[in-house]
Amino acid sequence: MAAHHAEILRYLRRVTARAAEADDLSQETFLRAYRAIGGLPPDANVRAWLFAIATNLARNHFRGESRRRAAQAAVRIAGGGGGREVAPDAETEFGEARALVDRVVMALPPKQRIAFTLRKVHDLDYPAIAESLQCSPESARANVFQALRKIRLELESQHLAGTELRR
Amino acid sequence: MSARASACLELEPDLIAAAIGEAPPSAAGRVRDHIDACRECRGAFERYRAIDGLVLGLRDEPVPADELEAARAGLRAKLADLRSRIVSYRVFTSPLGPILVARSEQGVTLVEYLARAGGIAVSRLRRAAEEDAMEGGAEMDALHRELTEYLGGRRKELGWPLDLRLAGSDFDRAVLQATGAVPYGAVTSYARIAADIGRPTATRAVAQALKRNPLAIAVPCHRIVGIAGDLMGYVGRRISLKQHLLGVEGVPTVEGPSDVRVARQSMYVLYPGDDEYCVPTCPSLTPARLGMATLFSSRRGVEGAGVSPCTTCRPDLHPIRR
Repeated sequence: MAAHHAEILRYLRRVTARAAEADDLSQETFLRAYRAIGGLPPDANVRAWLFAIATNLARNHFRGESRRRAAQAAVRIAGGGGGREVAPDAETEFGEARALVDRVVMALPPKQRIAFTLRKVHDLDYPAIAESLQCSPESARANVFQALRKIRLELESQHLAGTELRR
Repeated sequence: MSARASACLELEPDLIAAAIGEAPPSAAGRVRDHIDACRECRGAFERYRAIDGLVLGLRDEPVPADELEAARAGLRAKLADLRSRIVSYRVFTSPLGPILVARSEQGVTLVEYLARAGGIAVSRLRRAAEEDAMEGGAEMDALHRELTEYLGGRRKELGWPLDLRLAGSDFDRAVLQATGAVPYGAVTSYARIAADIGRPTATRAVAQALKRNPLAIAVPCHRIVGIAGDLMGYVGRRISLKQHLLGVEGVPTVEGPSDVRVARQSMYVLYPGDDEYCVPTCPSLTPARLGMATLFSSRRGVEGAGVSPCTTCRPDLHPIRR
């Protein structure tokens, strides 16, 4: 179970924007998992289950409008060049585009941000994402596509043409 | 965003799916046909592909090693703390009704008769607020098997490591330890336990401590009786449970009009400190001290305590007949 800690931590850092909060949430994820693992069926997908616990904690964390506003303020600050670190190749157009993607993703509503991160960064399938978000696989997929659509529109509005994004 | 035709907007989910490699062949075909004809959608398709390539790069972005190590150390410390506090429990069915058994890393912490089928909700585990209880899994199966064998008379020792964390005080702990030393198939009195722990006048306090015994059966408080052999109490007023457990161990009891007593006339007697045991009619015995003796239901049991037959009453030649 602890073998998944690095990945869960990475996931939470990506969806919560703040390293310290992600640390706390990842620890809480494993404390809860440790308490509950006795009741898990032997053939359960432990990785998907851990993502579901982490997602649940992250979403509870987002609830409460003040916290969400604070997170978005943090994103705006990060957009201004401070706060969240960007890739070292941020000077290149590729790096700029990636930093922009990061910012757009951080500004997405939590459900889209979570669905996108689980699918594109952690490669979970739609049924597993649906389990995390307690929705249908179709809805999980729609959230990922919404996120992609917003990223595209944002990149277009920043005049970063598709060809410039390619490696 | 420029105004795209409704056909284009309708196709967008398929277009995204095709661009990120998730479209089934039929949808991928439709998208291919459309973008051949629609320049704008071809641009969108290219950008989705580019975005997909871009975000794939996020998969390789690790958490900085020092931060990961710090987070791991934090998690390890919290898990260690949790493990030391946590107890796992299961409710077992038994001939004596539902029994909750809980264990920590150190050993079994609680063996409790549940008054009704209410699970942990009616358990003192719920009341022990400082404990972090979780339902146990297969690791509890061995405890259930051993308990079942014990209650069926097929096992004489549970041999469980015990964790006395739920004992209320040092006094209670001392009482539980002294009680744990009373062998299978034997009984002794509350007064004797009080004497054993160096508090000869604390008989009532011993009885109270055993009433709070968190480890029923495992700490055999059912082997402790009144000075005249009466069973006194057990789990409140459930004397029949005590009688049953003693019966499993071969300890004979008799039911009087108002109480149930150990049939002392049918048990071998060992006085504290003696190296010989007797039948209860032995002329060498001081009857007044009988309440302080340990009484055994069998010769094998008493000889297991490392003592020999009395040379006056010769229980080896004249064993008790029942």
